[in-house]
Amino acid sequence: MMKMSISSAKQIRKGQKTRQQTEYALYLFLLPAVVATLLFSYLPMFTNIMAFMDYDPTAGWMGLQSKFVGLENFRKIFNDPSFYTLVWRTLYYSIVIIVVTFPAKIIFALLLNEIRSQFFKRTVQTITYLPHFVSWVILASLIYIFLSTDSSGVINNFRSAVGLERIIFMKYEENFPIVLALSSLYKGLGWGSIIYLAAIAAVDSQMYEAAIIDGATRAQQAWYITLPSILPTVMITLVLEMGSLMGSSFDQVFNLQNSVIQVQTNTIATYTYTTGIVRQQYAISAAVGLFQGVVNCVLLLSTDFISKKLTSYGLI
Amino acid sequence: MNAAIKTSFFKKSRNRIKKSLGEKIFDTLNTLFMLILSFVTLYPFWYVLILSLNEGSDSAYGGIWFWPRKFTLDNYRYILANPQLQSAYLVTISRTILGTILTVLVTGFAAYAMSKKTLRFRKAFLTFFMIPMFIGGTLMSTYIVYAKLGLINNFLIYILPSSFSFYYMVVLRTFIYSLPPALEESAKIDGAGYLRIFFQIIIPLCLPAIATIALFSGVAQWLDFSTNLMFVYDDKLMTVQYLLYQVVRANKMTVLNEQAMAATGALQTINTQTITSQSIQMTVLMVATLPILLVYPFLQKYFVKGLTLGAIKE
Repeated sequence: MMKMSISSAKQIRKGQKTRQQTEYALYLFLLPAVVATLLFSYLPMFTNIMAFMDYDPTAGWMGLQSKFVGLENFRKIFNDPSFYTLVWRTLYYSIVIIVVTFPAKIIFALLLNEIRSQFFKRTVQTITYLPHFVSWVILASLIYIFLSTDSSGVINNFRSAVGLERIIFMKYEENFPIVLALSSLYKGLGWGSIIYLAAIAAVDSQMYEAAIIDGATRAQQAWYITLPSILPTVMITLVLEMGSLMGSSFDQVFNLQNSVIQVQTNTIATYTYTTGIVRQQYAISAAVGLFQGVVNCVLLLSTDFISKKLTSYGLI
Repeated sequence: MNAAIKTSFFKKSRNRIKKSLGEKIFDTLNTLFMLILSFVTLYPFWYVLILSLNEGSDSAYGGIWFWPRKFTLDNYRYILANPQLQSAYLVTISRTILGTILTVLVTGFAAYAMSKKTLRFRKAFLTFFMIPMFIGGTLMSTYIVYAKLGLINNFLIYILPSSFSFYYMVVLRTFIYSLPPALEESAKIDGAGYLRIFFQIIIPLCLPAIATIALFSGVAQWLDFSTNLMFVYDDKLMTVQYLLYQVVRANKMTVLNEQAMAATGALQTINTQTITSQSIQMTVLMVATLPILLVYPFLQKYFVKGLTLGAIKE
């Protein structure tokens, strides 16, 4: 029965006419996705030329008849010392976050792997994945609640209980990177460890058996078997993180900021928002955004290249 | 069979080996660490929950750590009767449902077409879909496109731009590849068109993958905050996340003002004196988080599956 249907289907597929019909119908299936990609991805790519204009939204179709000024906007931002501070700060925040969260995820996965009780392990996993499903608005307000100076601030309650004064922690920009890093850790520790747990699960159990027979302790097994086995995965995720150095999570930074430290803690993502949409300096915001986009693209392509060289496993 | 016996033997033998003192200490410390970590992860939510269930004026004295002192549901009654919150909830639920359905359909259609080896220009389409992963618009260039398309202050902005996802398409296409082609071909012989095949064969068979995509897209819709912040200024289209942002940022009663409350008549039954701006914040926070907290433990396996599905390289 099955065989017959397959062979007859093959006969039908040989007919040129059916094939033609096939394709037309399939293009209709592709149509919504193509339209959405054109409108929401390619059109904004095209309107990037506003970064080379003295942009005026009222001039012509989408303001695209504004005067071309060449690289004038870029000259402006490159001559502004605060731009370099902004770029450096974006990089600095990303690096602090990676330094804190990246090893932590691996260590957490290794420790979780040593838990013998499956039930306990699964419960810990469920709990630690949870913050991944909470928005930055919520997380930031949780952080502000915990750091607040009034009676609901757990941290300050603790400080006053041990005889220290209550401090307005978020008033100081020096504290911002560590808040970013710790909040990223809270949100991503569990979720980020999944990929390593999957890699650990794929390690050949015969290696452990052999090691046990040779008298290896569990620490030795982790160090000499587990860690080297998951090294390719570690490399890939590290390379991927490097690719996003110039990006920062808008939601995270924006929600953790407050009016006192906003200017001193802006990253490129929040800067393009406050400059472009709030202060309506369209062209400057577009130029800074485009700079970031180009850097991102270069980073992504080069990390893909490195990843392919190292592990023969790329993004594209 | 043989392997199963082997591993069971292996497990037994591993258990039979006596744990050294160092191992015992490590196991204890490790378990302790996991317990502390779980506590630290959960405690913030618990803390906000108990404060939202406590009289605001009483919370102001401090000293509440693990359990509400003066239990009350007034905060919730007050918040849930607020027209702005009700409207925000309605908007958020609508965009979550509609946005998820749209994403699954648009992405599913595309994945089905792209899974066909007979499709001409398939490689070209793949490149076309992939390029935006590397270069895209900036915030401003996107803004003017949205403005031109009339999407600013329009509900459709919540669901249209996210309707197609290259990543989801790759996940779904990989899944479709794994289906036996005979099923589809026999349906074709029975005279089923592509649309019928898609809805009656592909979708039911891809349900695990579709469930994962729907969940990811639904959660993203529920949590999305910046679309509202950047492109929607109309209070009628406010989402729950943005409402929470406003409550937190201003920590004022401007959003949840008393005049709007009086209109609902809800004030009569509630003693508003015990409600403070802080207890309002805690309660809105809980109202915005609870739906996810409640469904998440049951759907966790789908989320994890989605993450590992994506790791498959075509």
